[in-house]
Amino acid sequence: MNDAKSFEPKIVAYVCNWCTYLGADLAGTTRLEYPTNVRIIRLPCTGRIDFNLIVKGFEIGADAVLVSGCHPGDCHYTAGNYHARRRWILFRELLDTLGFDLRRIHFTWISAAEGKKWQQVIAEITEQTRQLGPYTDLYANGSAKNSGKDLPGGAPAPFEFRTLPAEGLLRESCRKLLADATVKVVIGYGKRGPAMVTRPEDVDRLVWNNRCVSNLTAYLKRKEIRALGKPAVVVKPCDEKSLVVLEKESQIDRKDIHVIGMGCEGVGEPKCTFCTARTRRFADESLGEAAAPVAQTTPPPNRFAALMEMPPAQRMAFWAKQFDRCVKCYACRQVCPMCYCERCIVDKNQPIAIDPAPSTKGNFAWQIARAFHLAARCVGCGECSRACPAGIDLALLNIALHKAAQQNFNYDPGVDPAAEPVIGSYALQDKEDFIR
Amino acid sequence: MSEMISQAGLRQLLGDCIAAGTVVAGPTRIKPTLILYARLSSPDELLLEGFLRPDNSIKEFVFPKQEKLYGYRIRGNNIELTGRDAPVPSQVVVAARPCDAAALPILDRIFNWDFKDEFYNDRRTATTVVTLACNQHDESCFCTSVGLGPAAERGSDVMLFAHGHGDYEVRCVTDKGRALFHGKTQKSSMEGRADAGPEKRFDPAAVRKFVDRHFEDPFWKEHALTCIGCGTCAFTCPTCHCFDIVDAGPSAGNARYRIWDSCQFPMFTAHASGHNPRAGQPGRQRQRILHKFSIYPEKFGEILCTGCGNCTRNCPEGIGVLSVATEIDHE
Repeated sequence: MNDAKSFEPKIVAYVCNWCTYLGADLAGTTRLEYPTNVRIIRLPCTGRIDFNLIVKGFEIGADAVLVSGCHPGDCHYTAGNYHARRRWILFRELLDTLGFDLRRIHFTWISAAEGKKWQQVIAEITEQTRQLGPYTDLYANGSAKNSGKDLPGGAPAPFEFRTLPAEGLLRESCRKLLADATVKVVIGYGKRGPAMVTRPEDVDRLVWNNRCVSNLTAYLKRKEIRALGKPAVVVKPCDEKSLVVLEKESQIDRKDIHVIGMGCEGVGEPKCTFCTARTRRFADESLGEAAAPVAQTTPPPNRFAALMEMPPAQRMAFWAKQFDRCVKCYACRQVCPMCYCERCIVDKNQPIAIDPAPSTKGNFAWQIARAFHLAARCVGCGECSRACPAGIDLALLNIALHKAAQQNFNYDPGVDPAAEPVIGSYALQDKEDFIR
Repeated sequence: MSEMISQAGLRQLLGDCIAAGTVVAGPTRIKPTLILYARLSSPDELLLEGFLRPDNSIKEFVFPKQEKLYGYRIRGNNIELTGRDAPVPSQVVVAARPCDAAALPILDRIFNWDFKDEFYNDRRTATTVVTLACNQHDESCFCTSVGLGPAAERGSDVMLFAHGHGDYEVRCVTDKGRALFHGKTQKSSMEGRADAGPEKRFDPAAVRKFVDRHFEDPFWKEHALTCIGCGTCAFTCPTCHCFDIVDAGPSAGNARYRIWDSCQFPMFTAHASGHNPRAGQPGRQRQRILHKFSIYPEKFGEILCTGCGNCTRNCPEGIGVLSVATEIDHE
């Protein structure tokens, strides 16, 4: 079956109802012949095509996937295709980072009048896919799990625990905030991890040191915390970015939260090496000095660059091996300030949207959904990687999308409160080079 | 006189097992900062020294995170059931910690009290556990508080004790263990040693007394505030055994799977009606402690916890059985 002559590729085409579907219809009514390898799935609009469908197409055995809609300016719903274009620009980057074979994923604009173009596109995709052969590399085919190469790890930098001078100031400030009932709870750091302090006499439980790692803004979404009343939240400059995004997305009302911005000298995490967020901008009060980043004896290897140097199939084998360790504890989701849905897509089981099993497929599906829901929203706090008990470098996926948002839309989540978010908006001049 | 095996001899023995088709699993370095129990493709991958304990537990070798119960095929109007995953031929879990091995007899009861779970039992029967006594502990360890210790034999087929210069004293506990090490050991006058273990941190009876009488208590509310509701504690716990059964459709091979589940997830108790009896994290946290110190003990007469401390070490926010139990006992 593998030789080019006998192999008939299966192509799944997700097309919009108003343009491409009619274009395909026109091809039929005008008796234009095109290969029968394509299975057309008609959807209302490309703007409503869930990215999971592209992945699902491959999972059910497609050798190539096509997504096609109205030309820019032609959308039946005015702007659905512009939204789709933005999402594809980012989603392609994610698929590339995961090692999908991009030669098997096609995007086109085909109007209701372009029966001829439909014929050509299908003929070309079919021929190209026939040359590529069946897509057997998907998810490293389960067999290559142990052949996936790892990335350069680098030993952890030497770390010396230090209590920082602002600790006393922090306690004093919190004592006042609680005593005069400005806030009902302080979300801060304690000896073992986060600490919630509700009584002024308990503020000595709060600490401030160079091991205050957690991004405490993740607690703002929790019902139990919200029920307590107005919170004060202790943030490092990097954590503040989460607040900017949360406010942008109407998840918090800035005046209902008291923000205590702390000067930080790094907390010994990989992200600290690349940290640029040393100044405090949005805090209600600022305590302590922002020091220079702690010098690392050797800079950690750039794992993202090393990942992208691998050929796609090897990249996918790398991820298959990483995801093989995933137990689906969802610590990555729970620890993320941006994951605030009341009911996550993986918890939807009527019907099941994301395979809940910790299998290779289920794990890819989950991580694709998680990472893409964070596209151009993730502020890079790295909590997902830190929380993962299986040591999976989840932040690499977020880095890919972060870079894509920066390069394509000049957008850095959480940095400029006035900037328009990438997802949910569009620009007529959005550029890409892969839609034909 | 005691029996001993050199480290080279041990690796040789494991290499022979692997060559004979036996699955061998043990601690191995996954990345510079992560050590896990995992299936070994070569005995050289086995890590024996210089670390406290792996971040996961050995339960996954008898109760995997995902197990196919059966497959099905649809032919016209008929549904045809197809087989389960092939049972493991035989497996050796080596250099398990006593707190991991002790979890197996605890799990045995769960998977056999009313229904004999063939999937679990097949794996369990096929498994030989070679435990390496601990020679260190950290501030999260509390085996001595739950009646175990660095040299506890419970659940082990063989105990190994480090001599301190690369050799191990071998003490076979069961026939399975004797069969594995038969003819592989030498006589020695050296005796292996184990760590004294952590100090007792709390009294489980006091914890039980509290949880039995304080179902509704502000303690749970306060304590659960820092919990973020992930399943890390349950999934890295050697004794947590709750599972869910899911059906995978055509894209995942038409099968019914058993997968790990955790009482910390809202979906764990969600009713089809939309009602959720454990609506918040306080109730879920209480459930975990209640199950470990009251519900399981009431049914089986022992605690559902081996004091490994994995929950504390793995929790992204530093919570765990130890901190809760200590707080309860000292209050």
